[in-house]
Amino acid sequence: MKKKNRTLEFIQAIATDLLFWIYIFGCLYYLMHKWTGFTAKLTFIGIAALLATIIFQLIRGSIGVKLFLSSGKPKRSVLKSLWGYLILLSLVVTFVVGLNIVEVDFYKFFTKFQNAGGIASGIFDPSVTGYSLSAESINELEKDDLPPDVINTLKGIQNRKYSTRKVFLNDLQKRLGESTLQEYKSTILKSAEKNTKLLNIALSALAETIFLALLATVFAIPFAFVLSFFAARNLMPRTWLGNIVYLVIRTIATIFRSIEAIVWAIIFSVWVGIGPFAGMLALMVHSVAALTKLYSEQIENIDTGPVEAIKATGASTLQTWIYAVIPQIVSPFLAFTIYRWDINVRMATIVGFVGGGGIGLLLLQQQQLLRWHNVGLLIWLIAFVVWVMDMVSARVREKLIGI
Amino acid sequence: MKNIIKLTDLHKIYEGGTHALKGVNLEVKEGEFLILLGLSGSGKSTLLRCMNRLIEPTSGEIEIDEENVITAKGKRLRKIRRHIGMIFQQFNLLKNLSALTNVLSGKLGYVSLWHSVTFSMHKNDVAIAMSNLQRVGLEQFAKNKARNLSGGQQQRVAIARALMQNPRVIFADEPVASLDPATADSVMRYLGELNKNDNITILCSLHFLSLARKYGTRVVALKDGNIVFDGTPKEIDEQKFKDIYGEDAEEVEIR
Repeated sequence: MKKKNRTLEFIQAIATDLLFWIYIFGCLYYLMHKWTGFTAKLTFIGIAALLATIIFQLIRGSIGVKLFLSSGKPKRSVLKSLWGYLILLSLVVTFVVGLNIVEVDFYKFFTKFQNAGGIASGIFDPSVTGYSLSAESINELEKDDLPPDVINTLKGIQNRKYSTRKVFLNDLQKRLGESTLQEYKSTILKSAEKNTKLLNIALSALAETIFLALLATVFAIPFAFVLSFFAARNLMPRTWLGNIVYLVIRTIATIFRSIEAIVWAIIFSVWVGIGPFAGMLALMVHSVAALTKLYSEQIENIDTGPVEAIKATGASTLQTWIYAVIPQIVSPFLAFTIYRWDINVRMATIVGFVGGGGIGLLLLQQQQLLRWHNVGLLIWLIAFVVWVMDMVSARVREKLIGI
Repeated sequence: MKNIIKLTDLHKIYEGGTHALKGVNLEVKEGEFLILLGLSGSGKSTLLRCMNRLIEPTSGEIEIDEENVITAKGKRLRKIRRHIGMIFQQFNLLKNLSALTNVLSGKLGYVSLWHSVTFSMHKNDVAIAMSNLQRVGLEQFAKNKARNLSGGQQQRVAIARALMQNPRVIFADEPVASLDPATADSVMRYLGELNKNDNITILCSLHFLSLARKYGTRVVALKDGNIVFDGTPKEIDEQKFKDIYGEDAEEVEIR
């Protein structure tokens, strides 16, 4: 028996060392290849790793020896802390390889800020209601064959904001003169109005996002609620059936939760078509899995005293759940659900990017048209809604938990 | 007087290997107010919970009111349980439900699943629950949430909940251990009243000998899962007390 254990320990030690050296030499090879274009057959890495393993096993100074062969002492005391240096080596190598793979480039970070100038100016000067002519709409007007002097005048009031149509037209009249204005009035107004419609579109897209998040949460509640009881360790009997039900539900919930909502959105936008419905389904699947976990953990944390007391009155299992479990979990469940809605509103924006509808889709479109001032407006709207949701949900949760 | 409880060679070995009950034999007559004494960990709670199978005994026989508790399953077990009221040290009320709802939950063993799912209790049951609250002097707190009641009041609600079951027996597991002495005495007084007026047999574990002498008609002491004393409260002298609680113990008087 003891000898068998020794053999096992030895195999574990060798395997650990071998994996360690394959990793180290693999990383080194990657760096050499990247920097000098050096190439070699992959078997060389294996051979080198094998050699290193044998050498370090012989001098008994490796990580595998430290971990699994506690009885084996290094031949010299200097080698006692060798395993520590090996771990340090692996950390350094990992860090350097990481820098290379991620293409970390501090030079770009500090010198190329002007590339983001468009979006930065959009954020600091978002298009809002009222009348204004953006650079884009002036460009469009130029294509509509307006005379160059009119275009030049219009460029002079580019991005200037007018609160009403009257103020806008008055200013144009001053700059262009009555007759020129009358000639091009409808064309200019059309371009200007196009721009002002964005807020309305944005608000309705925002409503779409909030409601799809809400529906995703609401539809997720009944599924998560029922499932959570079967995923709670303290409620499931410790029979084989109870264990299987518990394990299956927990495993599926974990798998579904580890697949990001954005991936679900890709799947559902193919399934039911691009739009808010796809986004809702994506968030719902993710919410069911997440809420099942949160709910069942809450059930596992309940005070077992009342459960015992209700059971002792002769109540059936279902009655015990209804009278002793549910009253204890209602308010934390509500708190988690509101929190989930809050998360879903934030995720709905991202989900919109891949076909989930709502403000995310609008943001993507405006970004692809390079309309940075519109993008700026959308970003502010999203930030505002997320901020409000966050604050409200925090307040409500505080109240619910504090009952 | 006939026996209402009969335990034969009752053993309980927990999963970790703790041998909590080592062959307990006990007969309790109808109408007795039996006090269980013993150190924490001597097996009092285990004994009480084995008797209504909140904890599964390892071996032995349990007979309550001429029913074999050990072989009972499902519906029959629940029928046995509904005649056994139980009172706990931590009261074990649903803290965010009203006192009245807590009392009504004592009736769960009697009502159909449908009525309990819809939380719709029979009018008659509500009237009984109110009169039970009145018995423990809490009718004006019926609508209050349990968490807003004091410890003594919560324990009285728990007594009313047990009464709701129409119990033949009440098991009380250290019912006054988390209460101050004055409140403890009032809770014990309510139990004593039920014992005398309703002829409910009571098994109550306690730590205070003074309360045992005042309310108990019989004292059974457990030590390491064995019964080491069985007699009247008056028979416990200093030597007996030290046998139960160990040589270093001093009796603490609460008055």
